Amino acid sequence: MGSVNGMIWRWGVVIALVRVIGVGQVFADVTTERGSSILIFPKVIYDSQGLIGGQVDTLIQISNTSNSLVFAHCFYVNAAPQNPAEPAGVLNPSQWQEIDFDIFLTKQQPTHWVLSGGRVEDTSDKSCGPVSGGGPPFSDCFNAGFDPGKIPPAPDDPFVGELKCIEVDSAGAPINGNHLKGEATIVNLPPALGDASKYNAIGVLGLNTDLNSNNSDNILCLGGGVTPSCPTGAEYNACPGTVILNHFAENASDPVIDLLGNSPSQVNTELTIVPCSEDFENQAPARITVQFRLTNEFEELFSASTTVTCWANFELDDVGLVFDIRFLGTRFVQTRLSSPDEQAGFVAVSEEFHQQGMPAVVSRAAFNLHGEGDRVNGDVIHIPEGP
Amino acid sequence: MARRIAGVWMRHVVLSSLAVLAFSARAVRADVGSDEAAAILVFPKIVVDTSATPQTWRGRIDTLVRISNTSTQEVSVHCFWVNANGHCTNSPATICNSSLFGASSPCGASGFCVQGWQETDFDINITARQPIAWLASRGESLCDPHDTSGDPCLPLGDAHPGPGGQDNKGSRILGVSEDPFIGELKCIEVDKNGVPVALNDLKGEAEFVHSNPDDLDVDGYNAIGIPAGPGPNNADNTLVLGGPGAEYSSCPNILILDHFFDGANDPISHDEVTTELTLVPCSEDFLHQAPITTPVQFLVFNEFEQRFSTSRRVTCFDNIKISNIETRSADRSIFSAAVSGTLTGQTRIRGVGDHNTLLGVAEEFRDGGGSAAFNVHFNGTRPTSDFIYLPPN
Repeated sequence: MGSVNGMIWRWGVVIALVRVIGVGQVFADVTTERGSSILIFPKVIYDSQGLIGGQVDTLIQISNTSNSLVFAHCFYVNAAPQNPAEPAGVLNPSQWQEIDFDIFLTKQQPTHWVLSGGRVEDTSDKSCGPVSGGGPPFSDCFNAGFDPGKIPPAPDDPFVGELKCIEVDSAGAPINGNHLKGEATIVNLPPALGDASKYNAIGVLGLNTDLNSNNSDNILCLGGGVTPSCPTGAEYNACPGTVILNHFAENASDPVIDLLGNSPSQVNTELTIVPCSEDFENQAPARITVQFRLTNEFEELFSASTTVTCWANFELDDVGLVFDIRFLGTRFVQTRLSSPDEQAGFVAVSEEFHQQGMPAVVSRAAFNLHGEGDRVNGDVIHIPEGP
Repeated sequence: MARRIAGVWMRHVVLSSLAVLAFSARAVRADVGSDEAAAILVFPKIVVDTSATPQTWRGRIDTLVRISNTSTQEVSVHCFWVNANGHCTNSPATICNSSLFGASSPCGASGFCVQGWQETDFDINITARQPIAWLASRGESLCDPHDTSGDPCLPLGDAHPGPGGQDNKGSRILGVSEDPFIGELKCIEVDKNGVPVALNDLKGEAEFVHSNPDDLDVDGYNAIGIPAGPGPNNADNTLVLGGPGAEYSSCPNILILDHFFDGANDPISHDEVTTELTLVPCSEDFLHQAPITTPVQFLVFNEFEQRFSTSRRVTCFDNIKISNIETRSADRSIFSAAVSGTLTGQTRIRGVGDHNTLLGVAEEFRDGGGSAAFNVHFNGTRPTSDFIYLPPN
């Protein structure tokens, strides 16, 4: 009898431990303000001619928050349509073409590069500072500092898509270091009026950094349990179960512009969505259905949906008129986004475009979105096999 | 007997370990952050200057505050404007913050600027999943059918209750107390009686809109959320953030800011970039109106991994160009590109001492136009508590 009790007790402990570990995985979320092991920049754009949108380029900033040398393996995902002069569609599909490269950062080192030019290894890059003979100091110190490696430029002009960086060891094997942070700044190219918007890279935290539960293979497991692809279970946090966006109804007026007497005004919101599951090895784009549940200021509920294959950037109006001020009836909206459990999860950023006057002056502002809960089934990133 | 005692002891050890593990695992989620709903929202930077002839270097600007309830239950929120305007000793009605007026102090030669710290507070009722927004300069009240101004208003009242019968009655959002204004907004989730509750239902954003007839510049940041938990809330007027008896999560030990060094040119627009940093202490004493002074250490790394450091005392609120953190001569600052030598840097910001953690946001400016606000990163927590003392309800 005593041995039966002991067995029950031992099984109870095992079950409790499993639950505890499970809790740890369930409640650890993606982040936009903590050092992480995977950085996702959902929206990077270079368009010198304004074929896809405005004439813009993107400045990437990444830094190492630790006191050790850190390596990262990065991927550009080119999601521009085959013919960039025409809108993406069935007859003009997006490319979903990845190129990858490595970077390394010394202790606490920040680095930067511009999407259009990448970064070459050149120790002669001139530092900012005083110039001999007096005069204003030299301020064009692009690429000055320790080069983080050779970073290729955007493979196309225009380029729209995603940048993803994964912390690895010196041999290129993924590790759970949680040492990377980053920002992306989308800046108007001259001669367009000066404007910029900035968001924090979305970080996926590696679990159990002290134990390094990452099995260092080429399949990265984001949340979820033990599966044939993930024999040791989750190595990274799960993507959010629900993404929450506060936004203006499409084509609503901006009350500040109106208050300051510079009407007419109008606000539109672009949403950029990237599935959390990605198969870089087989070049197989993930396809998800995104459900939108809108609540307006009258607490009235509406819904809509769209499909996303590999990457999508669209105005909310493109999903449906349900996002329009004429339909919603109020200026401000809370929208909750989710995908079915059996499909991949996703992360997203938004960018607002405010217009005033005729002809319109436009300004943009980017926002990180909120997350709620965790994906039950987890996601998988399959990276190409290393050397 | 000895075996039985050993068994009991073993069970206690295992159960204690499990409890600790469970607690720490649960606590993983309870970090201060700007990407999950929380019980306390902190908007470190609110800026207003709506006069026809702008008085500040920002020009005509207002802040649009957006808050939404992410739950399916009605929530009540108690908010505090913290007016950090300074005023001249020789003209107490004259506003004079250096961060708003730059080097040219409106106090003239016969006076100097004394920083202020004055709170006003108000209540809001937000229905299930409802988004609301208001202009900092105007505030907001229930919609008046005769009002044709187009200003945001709270739509759910007696005439138009929500689908579940909930409404915004009892809400009256004050506008900021001065124009121009710079300061902070803090909102705390409470119950119908105004008592703080352990629920994490609030999210928010602040959006700066600078508008002239031929010039528009918009940027924004997410409110910083302090989640309730892991411990219970004792519903008194002292909110305990982290440490023993924590009712809310601990504030971060270190803030990490990636930035351009001031004076460097943006490699894309070739405009000169400067960055403003806004810091507010996590601890605040609204009861005694006692501003809290925090020594702040800044550890700066450039892209050559070269390290610089400086420090500064922050009392209740600080909004400052980073190249003026330790000097008035911006081109001599360790935050200037002319001194640091590289385009970007990483700065680790740490409040010194117990109860002296900080929260902050940053805003970049390009001299050719194009500002961008963003949230700074956080690292670690502290074993000691921060406290927010509320006035009696």
